[in-house]
Amino acid sequence: MSKSYFDETHTAIGHPKSTFMQWMLTVDHKRIGLMYAAVMFTFFFVAVATAFLMRLELFAPGAQFIDGDTFNQAFTLHGVIMIFLFIVPGVPAVLGNIVMPLMIGAKDVSFPRLNWFTFWLYILGCIVALASLFTDAGFADTGWTFYAPYSLTTSTNVIFTLVAAFILGMASILTGLNFLVTIHRLRAPGMTFFKMPLFVWGIYATAWIQLLATPVVGITLILAILEKYFGIGIFDPAKGGDPVLFEHLFWIYSHPAVYLMILPAFGIMSEIIPTFSRREIFGYRTIALSSASIAGIGYLVWGHHLYTSGMADTAKVIFSFLTFFVAIPTGIKFYDWVATMYKGKIILSTPMLWALGTIITFTIGGLTGVTIAMIGVDIHLQDTYYTVAHFHYAMLGGVVFLFFAGLHYWFPLVSGKMYNETHAKIAFYLQFVGFNLLWFPMFIAGYYGMPRRYFDYLPEFQIYHQVSFFGAVIFITGLIYMFVVFFKGWRNGKPSGTNPWNATTLEWHMPSSPPPLENHSKVPYVDFNPYEYHHGEPVVKFDYETMKRID
Amino acid sequence: MDVNNTLQGFNTMAATFAKDVDQAFWINFWISVILGLSVIIPMFYFAWKYREKNVKDEDIENVTHNTALEIAWTLIPTAMLMVLFYYGYTSMQVLRTMPAESESIVVHVEGKKWSWKHTYEANKNGFVHKSKELYVPKDTNIILKMTAPLNDVIHAYFVPAFRMKEDVVPGRVTKQWFHSEKLGTYDVECAEYCGTRHSDMYTKINVIPKAEYEAWFEGNSKVGPGEKEVEKSKGQELYDDNGCAGCHSIDTDATLVGPSLKGIGAKHDATYLKDAIVTPDKDVPEGFTAGVMPPFALPDADVDALVDYMTTGK
Repeated sequence: MSKSYFDETHTAIGHPKSTFMQWMLTVDHKRIGLMYAAVMFTFFFVAVATAFLMRLELFAPGAQFIDGDTFNQAFTLHGVIMIFLFIVPGVPAVLGNIVMPLMIGAKDVSFPRLNWFTFWLYILGCIVALASLFTDAGFADTGWTFYAPYSLTTSTNVIFTLVAAFILGMASILTGLNFLVTIHRLRAPGMTFFKMPLFVWGIYATAWIQLLATPVVGITLILAILEKYFGIGIFDPAKGGDPVLFEHLFWIYSHPAVYLMILPAFGIMSEIIPTFSRREIFGYRTIALSSASIAGIGYLVWGHHLYTSGMADTAKVIFSFLTFFVAIPTGIKFYDWVATMYKGKIILSTPMLWALGTIITFTIGGLTGVTIAMIGVDIHLQDTYYTVAHFHYAMLGGVVFLFFAGLHYWFPLVSGKMYNETHAKIAFYLQFVGFNLLWFPMFIAGYYGMPRRYFDYLPEFQIYHQVSFFGAVIFITGLIYMFVVFFKGWRNGKPSGTNPWNATTLEWHMPSSPPPLENHSKVPYVDFNPYEYHHGEPVVKFDYETMKRID
Repeated sequence: MDVNNTLQGFNTMAATFAKDVDQAFWINFWISVILGLSVIIPMFYFAWKYREKNVKDEDIENVTHNTALEIAWTLIPTAMLMVLFYYGYTSMQVLRTMPAESESIVVHVEGKKWSWKHTYEANKNGFVHKSKELYVPKDTNIILKMTAPLNDVIHAYFVPAFRMKEDVVPGRVTKQWFHSEKLGTYDVECAEYCGTRHSDMYTKINVIPKAEYEAWFEGNSKVGPGEKEVEKSKGQELYDDNGCAGCHSIDTDATLVGPSLKGIGAKHDATYLKDAIVTPDKDVPEGFTAGVMPPFALPDADVDALVDYMTTGK
């Protein structure tokens, strides 16, 4: 048996003997990706538990078992973990790290030590973010948006969370930088930009957003710290500042951040659909360029979060108009994916089920986003459950569902084993049904005027909260089920071989399974398109020792 | 807290612009359904038609382009989205085009943690009405000029039945307006997160007949139309005006945000209580956090009256 990346590794410092230290100091992109996954999904479950606590509290109007302040801290904790610790690093940190270098035929990212440093910076950020749970003042109760002047005047410990967001932002910038350089410099010879797999395109567009948008949030947080501790009036009207300025600066980062989350997830979709349709993707260039254009237009639409903030009406009209132009490339991608299924051979394996399920949930998430891009309608729906349902359909039903799709898709690549497909499909159906039951009623409640971040509510809304609760129970059951399936697959799964899905891209052309430390035996020459199939079989075949084409 | 609000009037289109907003919403809904189904129906159809068992490998075709189709699925949705942009714009126009103040009643709204206060312009007698709930005549333009105290946070004045909402920002005056053609009582909710009792920050808009409004407005009643005036001490008036009840119960032992003031006279002397109003962080009772209650800079006589009310109930 040849050695895999589980057996040997390069480290940042020295040559430690212990397996534990080898993991802690590893610079191997695959190991780092796995460590991100372990940490991120631990936090993910903490945030899911917090969300479930809130749904339990909201089962009936009035206080059940926690008080209003605890509830406010709970939704802040949920938001901070889900956004800053989970979904922002998200797909790039885990799947980008593991798969992107393999896809372009590189031995690692351009700066492996920086990658190692970034991981530990991320861990530091996580610790600082959650440290305030254990301080006297308690975790922040501001919501993950930290709106001034509330965040400047609350007695809870906001500063830790702000500093953490700054550190995590730094980690995000460094990941983006590393990936940008890797994609520019380390592509296999012959692989032009338009021969890159679409997941790499998604990571590439994302990396630019990480690099260019994240500094804005850093600046904002520094301004907030200057204000709180040095009394400089920037956002606090009591000191002569303007709270709406904070909203602008916050969303200048946080809106592009939404695309930073979804673009790599769209990349996963673009890998899965052709593989399980056994044919070439429809409209490769359109999909690649639409990622780039979403990343570009995404900078110019932040104002649609501020329709009721007191911003000038003219500005609202401009931001609304621009917002509609993000919907167009997104829509085109969906048509391209569906067209890829035309005259293919549709294999409904678990990754494909997740991808097709996401086409439904993200379509709902995307189109309800169009509703609240309409100014007059948004004035009614802003800050209601309609908005909450919209972004959960887009983020959970879009980004996270595709993340799960990707986990199922690349699980055999990473572990060398296969999970039980029947059980994995049951887990999908549970989550799909639970998800819709959990969030769809919120569209209706929001339309009738149920505001978000409410600890208590009018009795009229009880039915929607209760349906949501049962949806949450089903969803979480499916979620746990899915991770049990992964766990059992990792322990006892059958060896998968190097290319269990009959896929075409380079990460499936490894000399052994799981992959060896430095990936491909030789750097391949790429004179082919990423998804070349002929009669349902991959066209390009390699001799895995020499990486020469043998087809 | 008396949450007896009921979402009354959501379907009656009480405000003149509610139907414009709803029309925009439903146009959006049906266009979304068409766009959504244009993706989801082909997806199900292809997944069924080209299912694994049904397709021989040699029948798979690599269709990668179809210019006509691609132009169609770019231009048609773009056109539909432009329709939606237009209706979003027009529904905003009706919400945001303020009527002339000379043809409207202007009411000043103050939102603070965690209560609403409506202050009217002076009437013929020079009397200024202040009320928690808003009373307005039917068939009249009402302009709300809204703000929050400088040391407070952002709130939002949201009237679901009217489909209107605008943030209430410290240090700024924001405006919205409405014109109701239906009598009734309509809920107002705070929609911008503002802390501990955000979800208790309700009030109501009462749309009443014009004559009834005129009679009330030109009178000097300190309560709303149709309500019986109860003699209030100066202290009690100050207690209500400053929104003390938002955080401190005085008739019960319930702890809202700050401690209950029931029987406070037996626990503390007047000096302590005065300090607790003017400089609340000087001596914070156990179990409560400094910085939650803002200092109230009131004239000495007012502070005395408040303390009298807290200790004697008068």
